This record gives sequence, structure tokens and C-alpha cells, in this order.
Amino acid sequence: METNAKMFWTGLSPDEAREALVNKDKSKKDKRMTLKEAVSRFVKPGDNVGIGGFVDIRQPVAICHEMIRQGFKDLTLSFQSAGMAPELLGGAMLVRPDHCSIKRIELAYWAHEAFGLSPTWRYLAERGMIEFEDWSNYNMSARFKAGAMGLPFIPTRSPLGGDIKNTSRTKIIDCPFTGRPIALLPASNPNVGLIHVQAADMYGNCIIRGTDATCAEIAMASAHTIVTCEQLVSHELITSNPKDVMIPFPAVDAVVHVPFGAYPGACRRHYYFNGDAIRGFLALIAPMVKGGSADALKAWYDENIFGVESFEDYIEKFPTKKLLADQLAENYNCERLA
Amino acid sequence: MTVSTDYTAQEIIVVAGAKILEDNKIVFVGTGLPMVASLLAILTHAPGLIPVFEAGAVGPPLKRGLPISVGDSKTFTGASYVKGLNGAFELTQRGFADFGFIGGAEVDMYGNLNSTMMGDFPESYSKPKVRLPGSGGASDMAASCDRTILIVPHDKKKFNEKLSYVTSPGHLDGTPGARQKAGMQGKGPYRVITTRGIFDFEEKTKRMRILHTFPGETVESIQANTGFELLVAPDVTQFAPPTTEEVRLIREVVDPNGAFVKRVAK
Repeated sequence: METNAKMFWTGLSPDEAREALVNKDKSKKDKRMTLKEAVSRFVKPGDNVGIGGFVDIRQPVAICHEMIRQGFKDLTLSFQSAGMAPELLGGAMLVRPDHCSIKRIELAYWAHEAFGLSPTWRYLAERGMIEFEDWSNYNMSARFKAGAMGLPFIPTRSPLGGDIKNTSRTKIIDCPFTGRPIALLPASNPNVGLIHVQAADMYGNCIIRGTDATCAEIAMASAHTIVTCEQLVSHELITSNPKDVMIPFPAVDAVVHVPFGAYPGACRRHYYFNGDAIRGFLALIAPMVKGGSADALKAWYDENIFGVESFEDYIEKFPTKKLLADQLAENYNCERLA
Repeated sequence: MTVSTDYTAQEIIVVAGAKILEDNKIVFVGTGLPMVASLLAILTHAPGLIPVFEAGAVGPPLKRGLPISVGDSKTFTGASYVKGLNGAFELTQRGFADFGFIGGAEVDMYGNLNSTMMGDFPESYSKPKVRLPGSGGASDMAASCDRTILIVPHDKKKFNEKLSYVTSPGHLDGTPGARQKAGMQGKGPYRVITTRGIFDFEEKTKRMRILHTFPGETVESIQANTGFELLVAPDVTQFAPPTTEEVRLIREVVDPNGAFVKRVAK
């Protein structure tokens, strides 16, 4: 067996993950609460946090705002491809390192596709301010899947060849059945998963539209899951086609109704990207990569997060016309009768 | 067919990408030029081409305009099959993806790509000179699509003898059966499309080889802009400039808003 980096678990070990579920109250109870309560109860210093969505789609933006308001310490962030969620959390570390700190990131990609690169990622990595471990989209997705399956590892066809296997905890073995090399990836079992969905009931049953991303796997792998939803609906409606339920209630610990909870990213059937807001936020951080001042970024956090009580207050700062335009753009993407 | 006189560098890349794709195959596409190339192929010689997006949409008609993300809502409307990332990559790993388009900040003569970091490796991995976004799905596509098509802007600084980091493995060190020995699947890099020409990989050495030059380029001008020695196919030809009809389709039908194909004249 080829030995790479020494094995260690950065979230829960498979045994700890199992134990956490065994001891958890899995009853079908009302889990509605405020974002304040959800974050203060389920996000702890040193946690490994699994982030749902994909790049700037269905990212748990509202949850990140609340985490920043309350402060967080020594977190490990785990995701496949992400945009605004780590940008907001990482940006908070740039302006308030006493209040917000990330220790480590396990990822496939951090940028914003057509909206640009991530200046926060460059800032943190190029200054050696965080640990990180590169994987691919499939690697991270498969690691969450292994966690969700209750397995310690999963065999995959990547990373083989190349350098990802050399900078990660990948182990390459000769497959016991074919004799050919195969990659084994350690499961990811976060302490808490952060997921934004289109619809949920009060127990935490969730329906997801468009890309499933890796949200169900993250929720099933995590010890706890916070769900925010665009639409809070009755149990009868959400189970009218039970196969539509993507995340089952026992995997969920908190349900918070937060319309626009992934904004300025996109959420299928609800709103399309506000690209100007994403680019505008990145533009505040970009000069800092080259040594520029943090004043503009500080002012943004003061105005939009520290200076307000809730995510609704932040959404209220957008012109109604713009919010309606982004809803209309999404209506065009998936035309249907209301 | 009338030859276009005002096509752009991006438009010839799109036309080249479209022509390489074959009808009735499944192509794993990323955002940007690969998507434009796939749509152009569907409108011209490959109406049965099936695009797959890594966030989980299979075979969407893309009637609501060009997506700006591989997880874009527009990729899901009308799709035949919809899952998430595991679903898309499991299809690929299983062998459903005939072609995949990938890119990177750096490429070497064996078609290995880097989209992770610039700087000394492994010394500066944890504190790189320049940190790039990371693999995304590129290294998975490199490992499991049957044939990959690389799109890289042609620049001496991007075509290097040695990469800072191999994110998406191609033909590895070029030794016979290197991919198979490493446990990988698929035939690996099939074509490279750049701003200067089209390249393949010579069968024995797996080294990048000039196949077609774009108008205005010669074997010499391309070599002068490449940081390693290129092989030259015995019958290098000039790639035909896009036709007026191809350019019209790109500008009026595929990307009417200029989302990815910029309107600057060549």
C-alpha cells in the first residue's frame, strides 16, 4: 500500500459519527426555530462544517450571516464547489479575526464561475493563514456519501495519477478483486451540515429542486443539520409524493423559514443570480490580495451583518425592483403556472 | 460556404470544438466555450449530441438560453434525468461520458493540466505563490471521460515543460500504458484546442503534436509560443476559417447576448 499523509479524522471519526446518531433524539418533532437559536445550538468552536449547495447555487448564505454575527472559532469547512458561503465566512475572518476564524478547508473548488475568482481564497492561502486539503468535486461528494453510508472510506477512480493523491489523505491500494490500483478516500462526517432547500416541513423533511448538489449526503453524514427553506409547508404537502423527499426528517435538527436564504446566489424556482451583488462583494476584497486596505470590506460587514439584527434586514436593503427582477428571471428559466 | 472575414479568436475555438464532437455521443460540458461548442455541434452536424452537466443535469435542450453555471437552473429545465454531483460523476466513472471538455492554467506536453496552484511544489503547496480555484470536476473528468478535449489559451507561460501541480492527469509521463498502470480509465487527452491551432497526441510517445494551424499561424510561430518541443504531424493542414453561417449561428442563435463569446473583431 502506498502511504500518503498520515490518517487523521478532521470531523467525526466513523465510530463517533455512528455514536452521535445513536444518541440523537430522532423523534418526529417540531424543529422550527430562529436562525439565532439554530446557529447557537448547533455550531460549536472547532466544528467541521459541511456546506451545501454548489458554487453560488443554493448556498446556505443566511446561515453564514448568522454565524458571522455570533462569531465562530477554529472551524473546518468541507464542501465540493462553493462560492458565497466560504467567501462570507472567510471575509469575516479578514476583518474580525478575533471574532471569526477558520482553521482548515477541505474542498474541490472555491471561486464563482462566471462571476470571478475568490480573492478571499487567494488571500488566506497565499499568506498561509489556513490549512487546506485539495480534492475534486467527485472526491468530496463521494466522501460525504461514504459518511452517509456509514462507511469509513469509499473507493473511487480519482485521484489516480496527478498530485491530488499526494496532498490529501487518499490511499492507493491494489484492488483486491481486479488487482489494479484504486483510490480510497476517507469518509467525511461533519459535526454540522448547513443546507438551504426549496421546501421543508416543520419536522425537517426537505424537497430540493434543480441540482441535488451533495445536500442529502451532507445531511445524512453530519451529526447535526441546520436547514433553511424558501417555503415552509405542511407535512401532508411535502409527503404527497414521498419519493420527492430528498432529506428525511431524522437527519435534520433545525428548520428555519428564510426566503431568499441563498441570495445573492440563485435558488431554482425562486430567484436567479444577482451577479452584480456577487461581483460587488468580490471587488471589496480583491484589492486586499495585493496589500490594499480592509476598510471597504469592514464597512460592508458593519452595514450588512454586524449592524443588523437578522438576514431579513439584509434582504430589505436590496431595491424591491431588483428582487422582483431576479424572481422574474428565474420564472423564465423554469416557466410554470403558479 | 462563404468564409467569415470577421470571426474572433473565441469563435474559431468554438467552431473547432464543435467539429471534434461526434453525433449521438455524450459530452460532459463545463460552463463557457465548451457549452457554446456543444450547442453549435447540435445545430450543425451533431443533432443527437447529449450534454451532461456535473451538477446533475443530463440532456437538457437549453432552450432558455446559455447557463452561466454548470448547476444553473437553465440546465435543469427539460433535462431527461436530474440528480446531483454523485449522480453525474458516477455516470462518468461508469463509462457513459464519451467526451469531456477540460481546461487549466497550465498544460504540459502530455496533456496534464494544472488548476490548483503556481509556485514550488511540494514545498509551497500550503503557502503557494498564486492560489487557483482548485480541481472542481476537472480531475474527475480527466480520470474517467473516455476522451478529453483540452481548451487552453496559447501562451508560452501556459505551455510548460513542468507543471507546478498536476490537477487533471492526462497521459502522465507518456510511458506506454501509464494511465492504465495508474488505475485510470479512458483514453485520456484526445485533442487540444488553443488560440493558435489544434493538437493531438502522437500514438507512441503520447506527446502533443501539431495537427492543424489556425489562419495566420505556422508550425514555427506556434512552436515559438510553446514552452516545450512540439511534435509535428506529417500532414499538418490549416484549419479552415469559420464560415459566415457558423459565425451567424454563434452570434444570433447560440450566444446572442455575448455571454461567453466576446464581440471583439479579430
